[in-house]
Amino acid sequence: MPLWLGMVPFAVAYAVTARAAGLSVLETQLMSVTVFAGASQFAAAGLFASGANALGIVATTALLNARHVLYGLSLSRTLPLTRPQRVLAAQFLTDEAYGVAVVRGPQESGGLSFAFLLGAELSLYSIWNLSTLVGALAGAVLPDPGALGVAVVFPLAFLGLLVPLLKGRLTVLVALASGLGAWALSRVLPGGLVILLAGIGGALLGAFLSTRSQNTASQA
Amino acid sequence: MSVLLVIFLMWAVTYPVRWLGLSLGRLHLPPFWLSFLQFVPVSVFAALVLPEVLGSPEWPRRLVACVVGGLLMWRTGSLAPGILGGFAAYWGARLLGL
Repeated sequence: MPLWLGMVPFAVAYAVTARAAGLSVLETQLMSVTVFAGASQFAAAGLFASGANALGIVATTALLNARHVLYGLSLSRTLPLTRPQRVLAAQFLTDEAYGVAVVRGPQESGGLSFAFLLGAELSLYSIWNLSTLVGALAGAVLPDPGALGVAVVFPLAFLGLLVPLLKGRLTVLVALASGLGAWALSRVLPGGLVILLAGIGGALLGAFLSTRSQNTASQA
Repeated sequence: MSVLLVIFLMWAVTYPVRWLGLSLGRLHLPPFWLSFLQFVPVSVFAALVLPEVLGSPEWPRRLVACVVGGLLMWRTGSLAPGILGGFAAYWGARLLGL
């Protein structure tokens, strides 16, 4: 339930941004039905608005969703799935569904099951798509999103995803390096490429610093 | 490129990754790349936020919005008050002529 409360404003904000970027109600909804990945949908809406290159949008999506491989790896270690189950579960796997499955799943009688995973996934999927529809239709009613300053919702929404992740000095350092790097790059390069380069650069920095500190810790 | 094609390609790079993870339960990624994947969200979210604030023609208003919104998100631990409060702060700054 608390997850739904978090998803609804995010989905509505995504839909309003997508509509402001010139996507139709159908296109806005189609992205929620197929891609079903909040952060990358929102990023794509912002990039559409800034007129970014299409391949940049796709590459940013690929980078953002590369982390889903981690959720799959983690889930498949505790929950053996048949091939049809994997094919189905993969479409609806998100950060939130993974979180619910690993935290609440083991508390169920009989432990984490495919039914529990799919149930969590589908409930989030329904809420996400319903909220998208509401936002997309609301976006059509608003007179002029530009004049209302709706564009500020985009950085605010991502700030909302970023803030809970800032735990400890290393994550703050990575965020600052990537954010300031992106700002500097955005003066000379197109939007999609900036996110991709700064995103990869920041994650490499984080991986380098964290594995280095682990190595020195294990040697000491 | 049409919007529909972009949406299809976005799906085409998302679904297989999810499926791959579920199908490779016994694979062990080197610690460096596991760490890389864990840092991707922090890094990408920051790269999306900062240029949208500092690089905008109305950057003082957006900065006010994000400082207020960020503090609300941090204190309340939830998204909705942050977005609403940040949006209100944006309008406050705008009406004050910032």
